[in-house]
Amino acid sequence: MTSLGTDAPRVDGPAKVTGQATYTADIVLPGMLYAKVLRSTMPHARLVRVDASAAERILGVVTLTRDDLAGIDPYYGAVLKDQPVVAIDRVLFAGDVVAVVAAESRDIAEEALDLIEVEYEALPSVGDPFAAQAPGAPILHAERNTPEVQFLDMKSVHFQADSNVCSIYHVAQGDFEAGYAAADHQFDDVYTVPTIQHGHMEPHASTAYWEPGGKLVVHTATQNPSVIRTQLAEMFSLPESMVRVIVPYVGGGYGAKTYPKLEPIVAVLSRKARRPVSLVLTREEVFMTAVRHAASVRIRTGINADGRIVARKVEATYDTGAYADIGPRTCKNGGYASGGPYRIEHQDLTSYCVYTNRPPSGAFRGFGVPQVCWPYESQMDDMARRLGVDPVALRRQNLIHEGDTFVTGDKLIAIGLDKCLEQVVEAIGWKGIESTRPMPSDKPGFVRGIGIAVMIKSTMTPSNSAASVRLNSDGSAMLLTSSVEIGQGPHTALAQIVAETIGLPLAKVTVTFPDTDFTPYDQSTSSSRTIFSMGHAAQKAGLQIRDQLFEIAAKQLEAAPGDLEIAEGIISVKGSPNRSLTIPQAFRAHFGTPVGSLFGAFDFQTTGGLRPEDGKGKASAFWFLSAAGAEVEVDTRTGKIRVLRAVTSVDTGKTINPRQCWLQNEGSMLTALGSALQEEMVFDNGQPVNSSFLDYLMPSMEDYPDEFRSMLVETPHPEGPFGAKGMGEAALGPVAPAIGNAVANALGGIRLRDLPLRPERVLDAIDAAATRGAAARGGNGGEAAR
Amino acid sequence: MKQLISTTINGRERELAVAPNRTLLEVLREDLQLTGAVEGCGVGQCGSCTVLIDGRPVSSCLTLATNVEGRSVTTIEGVAPAGQLSAVQQAFLHRQAFQCGFCTPGMIMAVEGLLRDHPGAGEAQIRDYLSGNLCRCGTYSAVIDAVKDVIAEVGAARDKASAG
Repeated sequence: MTSLGTDAPRVDGPAKVTGQATYTADIVLPGMLYAKVLRSTMPHARLVRVDASAAERILGVVTLTRDDLAGIDPYYGAVLKDQPVVAIDRVLFAGDVVAVVAAESRDIAEEALDLIEVEYEALPSVGDPFAAQAPGAPILHAERNTPEVQFLDMKSVHFQADSNVCSIYHVAQGDFEAGYAAADHQFDDVYTVPTIQHGHMEPHASTAYWEPGGKLVVHTATQNPSVIRTQLAEMFSLPESMVRVIVPYVGGGYGAKTYPKLEPIVAVLSRKARRPVSLVLTREEVFMTAVRHAASVRIRTGINADGRIVARKVEATYDTGAYADIGPRTCKNGGYASGGPYRIEHQDLTSYCVYTNRPPSGAFRGFGVPQVCWPYESQMDDMARRLGVDPVALRRQNLIHEGDTFVTGDKLIAIGLDKCLEQVVEAIGWKGIESTRPMPSDKPGFVRGIGIAVMIKSTMTPSNSAASVRLNSDGSAMLLTSSVEIGQGPHTALAQIVAETIGLPLAKVTVTFPDTDFTPYDQSTSSSRTIFSMGHAAQKAGLQIRDQLFEIAAKQLEAAPGDLEIAEGIISVKGSPNRSLTIPQAFRAHFGTPVGSLFGAFDFQTTGGLRPEDGKGKASAFWFLSAAGAEVEVDTRTGKIRVLRAVTSVDTGKTINPRQCWLQNEGSMLTALGSALQEEMVFDNGQPVNSSFLDYLMPSMEDYPDEFRSMLVETPHPEGPFGAKGMGEAALGPVAPAIGNAVANALGGIRLRDLPLRPERVLDAIDAAATRGAAARGGNGGEAAR
Repeated sequence: MKQLISTTINGRERELAVAPNRTLLEVLREDLQLTGAVEGCGVGQCGSCTVLIDGRPVSSCLTLATNVEGRSVTTIEGVAPAGQLSAVQQAFLHRQAFQCGFCTPGMIMAVEGLLRDHPGAGEAQIRDYLSGNLCRCGTYSAVIDAVKDVIAEVGAARDKASAG
């Protein structure tokens, strides 16, 4: 029986429900020291003095300051090496790493931190991307390193010199100005989303030590062990073979654990200490280590009276914080997706990645797209309202389809967005234009509404994933992979792919944890790329093994290899099930006794990339497509919104494990729900003020809607294993605009443009609309509500 | 200065020498190698470190180890006899009510407490009781289903017993 497409039980289940699953902080090594970080109290300052001598005098305490960086390249970074292990001449955000101590216990380490003397000279700081671009603003990174050539897709990003604009991406087609001017209606709006927090339950954690032979070993909660290895090798001028990165179970990441975070710190400190050093962040520190880009998006759209969208210009400005991290890619990918999944003749799309004195923004589930989906899907409903048409019909009219050319020049394939939209329309009970009107609630003062939104998103392209499969003589197989089990279930789903490909029982297939000494290169467990890319590599590696088995069995069964089949570990001649061979029998035939192993290996690189001159080419190996619907209830007296129902539909290409897909969708939806209604990191004079789960409210079980449903459609992709595409973050983007549209419909067209949709904002919008309405009635005309 | 305390951990009586400033979570993880309870926030706001003290769920990160003198502590490791699973663990497995798994031991311990206090809890009560256990992977619906499964099984078993 094949397990593909079934809810095969998760192989990590028994370990996780019994508390036996090992996370990085569970690893205790002999002689290990515990590290604590001294962080900047200022958003921008010159470091006048850092004196750790008093702390160093404590027995067993080892400190790391800017004085300990001799002989290494102290800078790291996924795209630009602009982030030092510890601050060197300046600190760039409140929370920046100034010094680190390691001690026999965390208590001693904390005592030692207090003994480090730091003198700052405050510098003017910039709190948002517009302040950062104002004349006279302090330039945060005057000396810019050359962009890394490690990632080919960065060639299409334009890095700026002598500016806080880190990078710009631009792509266009047609003639926006002419198209916009000629359109029957023009819309010009600004939408914003705030800085939010990933909220992975496992804080960042890394442990490092140096072997006597000079090899660096790091156990770490990362999403991309191969990249960590490269970055550490470069930092210490070591061959990559002398850096070993091992990743146990990871307790969530959602992008926050991509690229170096704590690994450089523990590597440098353990080298000085000559002992293993472990660093586990506190929750407050997690809030300062990685965040989602705040963004301000101006979107101009020209639409004709017949409903055809003809011109769109988007300028998306992202706050990338103090260091680039993977921000330039996040903003690039958000940039070309900012026009939405629509056929629009004239487009002009630009995204700006801007440094500020804020915690570094990086990858976050959705990767730059939720910031632009919020504007384009909100404006879509406003346009429908102005035209007096059904917003779903307006989407149907303009939606991209199979075979269309995207603004980047990509020929779109495996596009089931229309199916996603129709699934959501049915599930949420959309009834055409009638659904754009407020629905009564049985509670006085409450109104209800429903809303719909859609999304398109790319995956990291080009990128590499290599897999190695070993078949043992007893018929068990191992997939050696650097894909990280971070909760999304690759140990189960990749095993399903290998079992299906070779023809083995699922229970016979094991998937390894990443260990760069043994598992081959994988670019990243992110961008929802594991099933597509690693799954493709695993499938090809598995096919090599199946072919070898058929070669061996053909001789024994006196049949052509092409006439053989294999299922559940039994090789047989097609149509003659009695002429069969078990795997141990095949090994015995081949090696004389049941010893040895069969190997398969495959390195899959997706093709593509965008040209520097026009930002065009092939942006994505496959496209994420999704739709969302929401029903909300708004308390018009308090402004509080409750989401009663939320549904999404995602195009998986081919569903390997439905239950895992549903659960991942629910995760995307829940994060989106929080970002829509309540989540926002707040800063006061550059200081984060709500860095705890008490003050920063992530959705709990009580915030969970009554109905929360995810649905899947399958539009197979030729390069995906069995047609599968990525799906893990697809449901996130359209949820917030679906909620916003539902709120607008509940309130008779009142549009909120700033997330989150806090009660006071809702009340202000209701009041403002009432004032406008009164003025319009008194002033004889004008638009009642935009 | 360490203090000697007598306590019961997972059914076994223990004498522990602990410094007065150490939390129960630290002692469980570092002295007893019971690493199922984990630290997600360290200040009692996420539920990942939930254990039972005398059958009631508490945040072990907020509990000083000296406070369990004379009391009985149950962690995820002691929720079922070795090699077996509790009904709640089985239901979590069956419903696949976890993703990254970091919050799972705490979530399961909170459910054990819920079912002890409210064996017939309805959905609203389940949500209310478990609202202190955060899961960012978004596995809440599967957890709710798992809890309902256990309640239904217990109810069915009770009905069967009373019918027979």
